Amino acid sequence: MRDSKRFFDFIEVIKRAESGEAMKESDYDKRLGRKALSLMKQYEIHYDPQCIIPSDDGLADRIFQAAVNLFLDMGVYCTDTQRVISFAPEELQWALENVPQEVNYGRDKETITVYPRKVEDRRDPVCFFSAVGTPVTEEMFLPVAQSYAQEPLADTFSGPLITSYKGISVTSGSPIEVEAAIWNTQMLREAARRAGRPYIGIHNFQSTGEKTDATIASAQEKFGAFPGDGLLVAAIAEMKVDFERLKKVAFLRQSPYVLGALYGPLMGGYAGGPEGTAIALVAHHFLGLLVFSGERHNSFPIHIHHVCNTTREMLWLISVTGQALARNTPLIIASNAFMASGPCTEMVIDELCAQSITSTVSGWHLNPCAVAKNRYPMRCSGMEPRIHAEVGHRVAQIGLTRKEANRIVLRLVKGYEKAIPEAPIGKMFHECYSVDKIRPTDEYDSLFAKKKKEWGGLGFEVI
Amino acid sequence: MDLFNEMAKAVIEGDEEKTVSLAQEALAKGVDPMEAIEKGFAEGMKEIGRLFEALEIYLPQVIISAEAMTAGVDLFRQHLLSKGGETSQKTVLLGTIQGDVHDIGKNIVKIMLESNGFKVYDLGRDVPVFDFIEKVKELRPDIVGVSALMTTTMVHMPKLIEALQESGLRDQVKVMLGGAPVLPEWAKKVGADGYGESAMEAVRVAKKLVGLSSEGERA
Repeated sequence: MRDSKRFFDFIEVIKRAESGEAMKESDYDKRLGRKALSLMKQYEIHYDPQCIIPSDDGLADRIFQAAVNLFLDMGVYCTDTQRVISFAPEELQWALENVPQEVNYGRDKETITVYPRKVEDRRDPVCFFSAVGTPVTEEMFLPVAQSYAQEPLADTFSGPLITSYKGISVTSGSPIEVEAAIWNTQMLREAARRAGRPYIGIHNFQSTGEKTDATIASAQEKFGAFPGDGLLVAAIAEMKVDFERLKKVAFLRQSPYVLGALYGPLMGGYAGGPEGTAIALVAHHFLGLLVFSGERHNSFPIHIHHVCNTTREMLWLISVTGQALARNTPLIIASNAFMASGPCTEMVIDELCAQSITSTVSGWHLNPCAVAKNRYPMRCSGMEPRIHAEVGHRVAQIGLTRKEANRIVLRLVKGYEKAIPEAPIGKMFHECYSVDKIRPTDEYDSLFAKKKKEWGGLGFEVI
Repeated sequence: MDLFNEMAKAVIEGDEEKTVSLAQEALAKGVDPMEAIEKGFAEGMKEIGRLFEALEIYLPQVIISAEAMTAGVDLFRQHLLSKGGETSQKTVLLGTIQGDVHDIGKNIVKIMLESNGFKVYDLGRDVPVFDFIEKVKELRPDIVGVSALMTTTMVHMPKLIEALQESGLRDQVKVMLGGAPVLPEWAKKVGADGYGESAMEAVRVAKKLVGLSSEGERA
């Protein structure tokens, strides 16, 4: 159970949302872009496409300092009140010093403790297996969710979503959304049971319901949302919140559920290129800590055009932000992998490998993964997070250095980066899994085995 | 013409003072304002669009260039109005669909449409279907452009198209859809007239829909 005294006063956040500096949203957006650009110059932050995983501690620390500067100068924009929620330097410092440094998911023998990782940490990353809300049909929800829950390296899991329930479209804000949200939670717990892991933590037990009422309606133990499960609350890009999100926070603070804060800044968007977006992503973690009272933090920075985070500049961004946070804060952070290509393709396996190596060596836990740009129905399976997690565990076990990781990841990226704009969308769940046995097809297993062999040629053996 | 090149350059550099002074210079020389916009400012913005698509520049630079262009175009427009001239523009009613608060994509489309001569009425985010209908009745736009980032909100898009039909407005307005989870096949299936994978493609499709261009259409 969370210790509220170790988080910034949420009532004060609400007060500031109502009384902070009034500002037009478009002015806030423009100011953010200008500020990020000036901080990039002031702190000499430069993206180097030949050095995706820098070994430069000074660069990581400068990004951290720039993010502190950005957060304190910009504050957080509340779209409902059109006001800025601002914080003083000592408030940020207090929050960082007092935040709990471990969080538990799951129950009994499935209990997992998550901790802040370090750069080049040799401890295994915690792996939050997730279908990242990929749309699936009602009848396929359970087998897809089970494919994640049953994976041995899944420390927790979460599910896909349904867009239709009992023949009715699940529309945001409708009664059917509440019905479908409750069903979603029930099915996730049922998937855990069928996987033989009834008490595994579900780190986000609600994907189908978006509105706060639907989310809260599904948050009951009798539906399968156990204490030690969790929910994610997402900031609005960039550096914004609204009452819908703050209502979720108001509920979660007093619930037995782990509050994960979620950020997806767009590289190329309001914060600019990889440097500005890196600064903004680190600053989002302060938003999550102070505004959301986040116990852990989940990031999915994405490329504004390609909707993935496996391009060269995205991997650089992931690496430097992970290092900045791991070196300068005790925050529990996870890297949410977004692949351009889809299941059962050679490309997705290489993308997963590059993203996992980059994240693990840079201090992140792992949250695999969205595939096929997270937009094609039925294109997800437990195999993709398995690949990501196996790579991450191997990186930690062999003590891969940033320098060596950079060499391997550069080779991988060169192999797939030209294909990113028109990446293959891959196969649907039932095309790359045996639905009866809930296991990958021989074709998918063989592809992974082939890739492991190739990686061995790069000097990276995944057993 | 050097003046047109300078106008394009001023837009690319986001130099608002320069776009205004070049517009004044063009008027003083008796250059047709519409020609100056098309061959000068719009060419600059076209290059900005290309650079953004290639991600050689980022959104803040796009906004600065768009604002510089708007300042120059506004000066031309005031001149035309003072002379009793026509300044008619094709219009787009834009919004993020009900339940969806994610609007960066919609905002980029807005910038690009405005930079390409469209008048955009931006209804903002989380816009109820009924509000779209009311505004279509009031503003009579050429196009309704709707975006969604989530699968649970994109399902409101077909409801909007149905509501336009029920209101007898469907034949009077083109409908364009966009947003991360929206696929071109789906947009076509639910009865949209156009789909934009990116902001630049949205502009190309919008032009085609209103008869300003013969370039490709996706849905």
